[in-house]
Amino acid sequence: MGADDAIDGIDGIDKMQPLERLLNLVGLLLDTEVALTFDQIRETLDAYGGDNADSAKRKFERDKDVLREYGIPLRLADTDAWGVEQGYIIPKDEYYLPEIAFTPEEVTALFVASQNGTEELAAAEGVRKLLYGADGGLLAGPALGPLVAGSDARGPRVLAAVAAADARRRVGFGYRTAQGAVSDRDVDAFGTVFRGGHWYLVGLDHERDRIRAFRVSRCTTDLDDAGQGSEPPEGFRALDHIQAGPWVAAGDERALVAFAPASAALAETAFARATRERTDAGGWVVLSLPVADDAILAALVLHYGPDAEVLEPASLRDEVIRRLEALAGA
Amino acid sequence: MPERRRSVTTADRLGRMLVVVPYLVKHQGATIDEVARLFDIAPTQLRRDLDLLFMSGLPPYGPGDLIDVDVDEDGAIWIRMADHFARPLRLSRQEALAVSVRATELLATPGVPEAPDLQRALDKIAASLGGAEGMEAAGAGEAPVHLDAMRDAASEHRRLEIDYVAASTAERTSRTVEPDAVFASGGNWYAAVWDVDADAERLLRIDRVQTVTPTEVTFEPRGLEGVGRPLYRPGEGDTTVRLRLSAEARWVAEYYATTDEHDTGDGGIEVSLPTRRTSWVARLLLRLGPDATVVEPAEVADEVRSLAAQTLARYRT
Repeated sequence: MGADDAIDGIDGIDKMQPLERLLNLVGLLLDTEVALTFDQIRETLDAYGGDNADSAKRKFERDKDVLREYGIPLRLADTDAWGVEQGYIIPKDEYYLPEIAFTPEEVTALFVASQNGTEELAAAEGVRKLLYGADGGLLAGPALGPLVAGSDARGPRVLAAVAAADARRRVGFGYRTAQGAVSDRDVDAFGTVFRGGHWYLVGLDHERDRIRAFRVSRCTTDLDDAGQGSEPPEGFRALDHIQAGPWVAAGDERALVAFAPASAALAETAFARATRERTDAGGWVVLSLPVADDAILAALVLHYGPDAEVLEPASLRDEVIRRLEALAGA
Repeated sequence: MPERRRSVTTADRLGRMLVVVPYLVKHQGATIDEVARLFDIAPTQLRRDLDLLFMSGLPPYGPGDLIDVDVDEDGAIWIRMADHFARPLRLSRQEALAVSVRATELLATPGVPEAPDLQRALDKIAASLGGAEGMEAAGAGEAPVHLDAMRDAASEHRRLEIDYVAASTAERTSRTVEPDAVFASGGNWYAAVWDVDADAERLLRIDRVQTVTPTEVTFEPRGLEGVGRPLYRPGEGDTTVRLRLSAEARWVAEYYATTDEHDTGDGGIEVSLPTRRTSWVARLLLRLGPDATVVEPAEVADEVRSLAAQTLARYRT
């Protein structure tokens, strides 16, 4: 017997399990067509009976809190058209999940998506409710394990950002830019984007009066709700406001870089729009790479150490040599 | 299966009943074990809750409200329940958004075979409960060539011969591995494998797998940790490299598992980077150039210098 039962014992009303009492209460308030006063509930449910009305009322108040804590839509409503008295009811249209039928493949995919190996439970809880609609159950098999570890940001902050954009709220938060500058931001949340393992919040930055994107993992505080935000401009797309990294080259200029045999395959996938030009002596592979900026490309090529050599253009080759000389102390 | 994951409150148990019971009503004959797994409940706890339902019964609102719960010897559950518990509680907005968040992350990962089904499921949820406003994902890009082969091997518990290029050394090696778990993190796919020759656990990035040859040998899975595992695990004999990074190189602190971060006041940061091998750190330092310096140990600073000299030699022949 748990602690709750002991409390019931002190109240001296009954020894009924609290879970049983709560289920009865939910059933009664779902079943009723009109709101019921506490006295009417007391008449139907023995658990709130007994001589001590104050004690029963306290227990009922506690139970209401538990129902609300779990998200059950417990409403206060007039008991009749004259509005003399108010009572309790759980509106069916607010309580029940609409019928959504899923194929076994669909519900399996949802199940896999919700299992992400973190402590954040809201998605898993949501999907469990949806399992009801599984037409024929889940697909069994070892593939049922989680697949994706989500983003770099802590779950609650991502959810707060998504919820803010969903409800068009204005939010305040501390933010550190990629360059390390920390400041307070005041933003109307318009949308969220997931790209390359990161979640971004996109919205109107009031201080700068411009639409900006914020990587959620760089928020230094939780998001504080600051009331209703504004509507995004016509044709707004959050994705348009996420800058491509500076290493994503847009122009037509290209460089030729030779890679050692073992590194060539890696480089080919690591550099977007890389093409294979030829294979040189010793199996070194020459790739043609788009150039965004000499300094940036030089850095990326240097990551391959002695397994890469810039052939042309000369400006890029000189940049690499300059950096190497500085590092070698030559 | 652990009996007790965390302390279970009455609200938890209530919520579970309001979700599990409708599922049981609709899926008659579902077994204790299956339901326990789906809803992440210990089987004994599920039995206790079902017993309670059977014992208690609801007040007689009407003749159709009788409760009857029967668990047969095979563990199959048969249940007759009042109509008002025949459908589950609706998802809270928070739960619906959380499902969308997880689904979006999966959809934005290249090479997920469940993606089309997941998209259809999301569309159905959006049509009934309202979609998440303003949530977008960038295109998924391309999956690694050998992803399917690795996933198949993990699900069939099949030993593989692979050629692999380690980014830290750029050496191509042939290995015999037993893939336990395949998962994506931060846009990359990984396999947690048992390296048979080294007799040790390894984490492979699947885009660095060059060739895959399945063998006839199967193995008993070891339960290596997949999703959610840290991509780096500190071990004995690791070196901790202390780096000073300029503002331009701060991304290193976000990208790698650094510790003891300390802002230097000029937009830069000092971090500690624990690592099994220092060779890849030297290459990283080559890339960062003027934006990073090694504070300690001196051996790593020397390694960077000699790597730079070695690379420079290529340009001078």
